[in-house]
Amino acid sequence: MMAAAAGTDRDWGWATEYENVGGEVAICGVGESDHSKASGRTTREIVGQAVERALTDAGLEPTDVDGLMYIGMPDQLDVAGFHEYFGTNHDMWESKGGGGMTHAAAAPYEVAHALRDGKASVVLNTFGVAWATQRSQMVGGPGESHAQELFKQNLEIPMGWFPQPVYFATVARRHMHEFGTTQEQLGAIAVAQRRNANHTPSAVMHDKTLTMEQYLASPTIVAPFRKEDCCLISDGGGAVLMTSTERARDMAKSLIEVAGVGLGNSSTGTHWAQQPAFTSTPQVFAAPVAFDMAGVTHADIDLYTCYDPFTIHTLMQLEDSGFCAKGEGGAFVEGDRLNFDSGKLPTNTHGGLLSHAYVLGIAHVVEVVRQLRGEAAAQVPGAEIGIYGGYTGPQAATLILRRARR
Amino acid sequence: MMDVRTEFPLPDTSWEPIREFWAGAAREELVFPRCDSCGRICWYPRERCRSCDGQSFTWASVSGRGTLFSWVVVTHPFLPQFADLVPFAPALVALEEDPRVRLATRMVECDLDALEFEMPVRVTFRPLAFAGVDGGVLAPLFVPA
Repeated sequence: MMAAAAGTDRDWGWATEYENVGGEVAICGVGESDHSKASGRTTREIVGQAVERALTDAGLEPTDVDGLMYIGMPDQLDVAGFHEYFGTNHDMWESKGGGGMTHAAAAPYEVAHALRDGKASVVLNTFGVAWATQRSQMVGGPGESHAQELFKQNLEIPMGWFPQPVYFATVARRHMHEFGTTQEQLGAIAVAQRRNANHTPSAVMHDKTLTMEQYLASPTIVAPFRKEDCCLISDGGGAVLMTSTERARDMAKSLIEVAGVGLGNSSTGTHWAQQPAFTSTPQVFAAPVAFDMAGVTHADIDLYTCYDPFTIHTLMQLEDSGFCAKGEGGAFVEGDRLNFDSGKLPTNTHGGLLSHAYVLGIAHVVEVVRQLRGEAAAQVPGAEIGIYGGYTGPQAATLILRRARR
Repeated sequence: MMDVRTEFPLPDTSWEPIREFWAGAAREELVFPRCDSCGRICWYPRERCRSCDGQSFTWASVSGRGTLFSWVVVTHPFLPQFADLVPFAPALVALEEDPRVRLATRMVECDLDALEFEMPVRVTFRPLAFAGVDGGVLAPLFVPA
């Protein structure tokens, strides 16, 4: 169709140059807090619970952790916070290149270098939010950082083009125009991810089913989006422990190795209004790097997860990661393909940000690891290779995980 | 709610990078920074031109004509200051002079159900004012051409 060229415009971003770190890093422990709507918990309590569970999962003690990754957002677990929570005081390497979103996917690349350089031997990446609890005070939450950005504050917000549901409904409508994507195809994503959540006890929406009829009957809040197209706001967090594959080989759980990782960037950052390839994500740049590093093809992928703040993000990232051609995402998500038990391309098998919990992608990594170990609630039979596609807007990253032979 | 200016969501028209834009709007002119070397409109303002790396720009007016690139219809106001406006249609308008430049704006004074992709639109200057917020600013909004 007419604007297909915009979707294949390659000069709007780039891939960060990555050395091959495939097979160097393993994920040896994962944990999640309880996920909930407003719970009265603090971010620190939430993250602490996730870390305790990850340590138990890995069979490690707090003092075994000598590297810490997080993001420079309020209340995240830094070294001082770690020591205060666990009553420890050992030296720790730290990096603010961690957390959720893109960072939950790209963190293993930095870990590979920390391991190579002897800066750390066991690295913990965490992220957590209490945004459901804080919502009543209108602090925190996904809109706040955007409201602080001055071009947005002085050019976009006054016109009403704010916050994220407005940006991405604008993207979704344009995708519909360029490629013929339909409301039902967006709905197919919401319905499939909800069904996956219905099979996942830890999901906030575990007990709430969603049919296509219900989706279509739901009123639009920012047309073409209904609330079912938008992620939850919830309290929760996750923790991922990483070490060398060599060390992980001797640990109790299945060896889950980082097979490939790639990072893509958009030259227009969070100014989506000006992004030349308006209906694309930087996965266009990230995914080929990760696939090359892992030495796998799309046919090898047993399950896919991605940062899905809105239905359109699942659709665009499936396209941009190469599972189908640009513009064919709508047809691709129809039917049962995304269901955990479809035998096709199970996607966001825990429900994702739409129906599991809005913990910005860290729980997606936890889910992929559990799937590859055979421990997931909505288990994909025999899953060996899985992906987490992380996204922030300005950046996207592809993380390919593989169950390795010992 | 958040740690922003008291006149939020009105723009800070004195912020240097976009001061000329709002000064133009106040005299009902739509102005953008053009690269002095290659003539490209660089939006949002940046230090170096996207096309030629040029570093000097001159603000110049455009026709105010363009096409509707995409839009949404907001029925749930995410900011309380917009509650009186619903339903409203935030939109991106591609400029006639360079469709790569998209202005974040709002379609007004029209049937929101009759909006169409690529339809010709033209600028109209209307005051922005928000309940509970002092002051007002003349802003470039759009109507079907």
